[in-house]
Amino acid sequence: MSRWYWTGLGLAAMGCVLIPGFFAPEHLSPSDLSMAYSSPGAAPPFGTDSMGRPLLEYALQGSRVIALPSIVAGLVVMFFAVIGGLIACTGSHRLEAITRAFGELLGALPRMVVVLIVALLMPPEDRSLYPIAISWALLAAPGAMDEASAVAARLGGARFVEALRAHGFSRFRIYLWHIVGLNLRPVVARQGMETLMQVVFLEIALSYLALQDTQPSFTHGDSEMSWADLLYMGYQAFLEVPTWHAMQLGIGLVALVALATVCVGRAVRPR
Amino acid sequence: MNSWWIRPLVRLVAAALLPVAVPGILTALIWALPGDPASIICPPAICGGTEELAEKWNLHQGPWHFFSTWMKAALSGDLGNSWRMQPGVPVVELIAESVPWTAALVTMAFIPLVLGATGAASRWLSDKLDPLIRLVGLTPSVVLALLAAAAVTIHYGANAYDDDAMRVKILLGALTLGLADAALSGAVTGVRGLMEEERKQRYVQIAILRGESVLSNTLPNVLPAIAGQMRARLLHLLSGAVIVEVVIRIDGLGDLLWQGTLTQDFGVVLASAFAFAILSAVLLLGQALVEIGVALHVRRSPKGVPA
Repeated sequence: MSRWYWTGLGLAAMGCVLIPGFFAPEHLSPSDLSMAYSSPGAAPPFGTDSMGRPLLEYALQGSRVIALPSIVAGLVVMFFAVIGGLIACTGSHRLEAITRAFGELLGALPRMVVVLIVALLMPPEDRSLYPIAISWALLAAPGAMDEASAVAARLGGARFVEALRAHGFSRFRIYLWHIVGLNLRPVVARQGMETLMQVVFLEIALSYLALQDTQPSFTHGDSEMSWADLLYMGYQAFLEVPTWHAMQLGIGLVALVALATVCVGRAVRPR
Repeated sequence: MNSWWIRPLVRLVAAALLPVAVPGILTALIWALPGDPASIICPPAICGGTEELAEKWNLHQGPWHFFSTWMKAALSGDLGNSWRMQPGVPVVELIAESVPWTAALVTMAFIPLVLGATGAASRWLSDKLDPLIRLVGLTPSVVLALLAAAAVTIHYGANAYDDDAMRVKILLGALTLGLADAALSGAVTGVRGLMEEERKQRYVQIAILRGESVLSNTLPNVLPAIAGQMRARLLHLLSGAVIVEVVIRIDGLGDLLWQGTLTQDFGVVLASAFAFAILSAVLLLGQALVEIGVALHVRRSPKGVPA
């Protein structure tokens, strides 16, 4: 299938996931017990919770919780991937060795341990996904830098730059257009998108774990709902509570994020 | 290359530094944040007398005193007591109870990864299966863990902590950990990519013409990279173990770290992070030893090659 197809599908999936967050209500609607556990047919489009509040609002608020932090995390990883690729093109072995050693150290600990330490150090009144998302991005950055550096090395590294300089191109054009724009683009975009997806899944996981222990989440305020709330509500279906619609919506949203990642990966794959 | 020893040396240094650096950085961070450490760990609105707490938790004489005292005790096997989760209980006991569960979970989850990597390296596992493995790998661990937890709840109900139920939990947890978040797909596609790149090398083609096996020629050259991949996979499993243990209710190290974070028990978090740092250091050490072993091996004259 053509790149345009994947691009369109990826952008549509991403749009469905992230854009609604900007239109999320500040608070959930007042409860209406007569509408409790309504199915999507009875209370379109997604049905209601145990208090008769629409699940659409859960989905919108969850989207708001993840939208900007996950985009920021993706951009951080993309930035570092570009730096990693460019370092490989400078031909400085010392710089490469320092970057690699730093990456080794940064990536030596399990990421979740670092994330939980960041969560521990966050003041309870300033809970937000941003510090966690940025920490995750920094931990993911060495991997992205490594991959971008391998791509640049396959390209020829410093010899590629030298050859283009001999053709009369400016350094600015070589680095930004020929290296980043034409050659590093697939790996940079894919790494950014994968980090975005990982941050979304991380938010869901952290919120779900907090919900399970009936504690406030590290990633958002108490008045906001996360997509983890949908999964947690959906889990009750296994205990014979009529919440299958919440489970379907939660898993559907997770699938949409995964779909967006796959599509972007396919759209930017190397020719 | 004459500088083959640099990479293993960096890893050995990192392995030696990690168990010291992690508590050091954590201590520094607690002091670097605005406000005094005792009130950060337990706000006065909840815990009251901050000065008494600071003294009780040994935070009253500055970061260096806290760190050096804690490290000295840790080296003699005393990781202090829990501050808020189970006040007064030695953290060593909590860690000793939790490590076997995490070890069982991660070891079992690692088995399919090793099999997958071996299958990919030997081409026994067809690359036609890669899209399917990748698709399964897109599932987040929390979703698979949730389904596993549901299966345990439905089947065992109130007896979810029986020996039988725990065995099933470990099995399902390992399956979740091994499949979700691209654990298996990363191992399979990563090792396949490495091996296929190496197979294209000219020396391998010549080795085939000489009637030698591909694996015996390529393995020494790709083994350090495969060891790196496997270390990354194990770290990934340790990271994912936190989610799986909490959702499926396995009392492992990840669950301990989570509970410590949730209750803002710095004593437990510091000790758990130290335990994870030691595990990570052991993995780094393992990779360094593989690299040294391979480097020494390839520097010997090849056997069976006439002079």
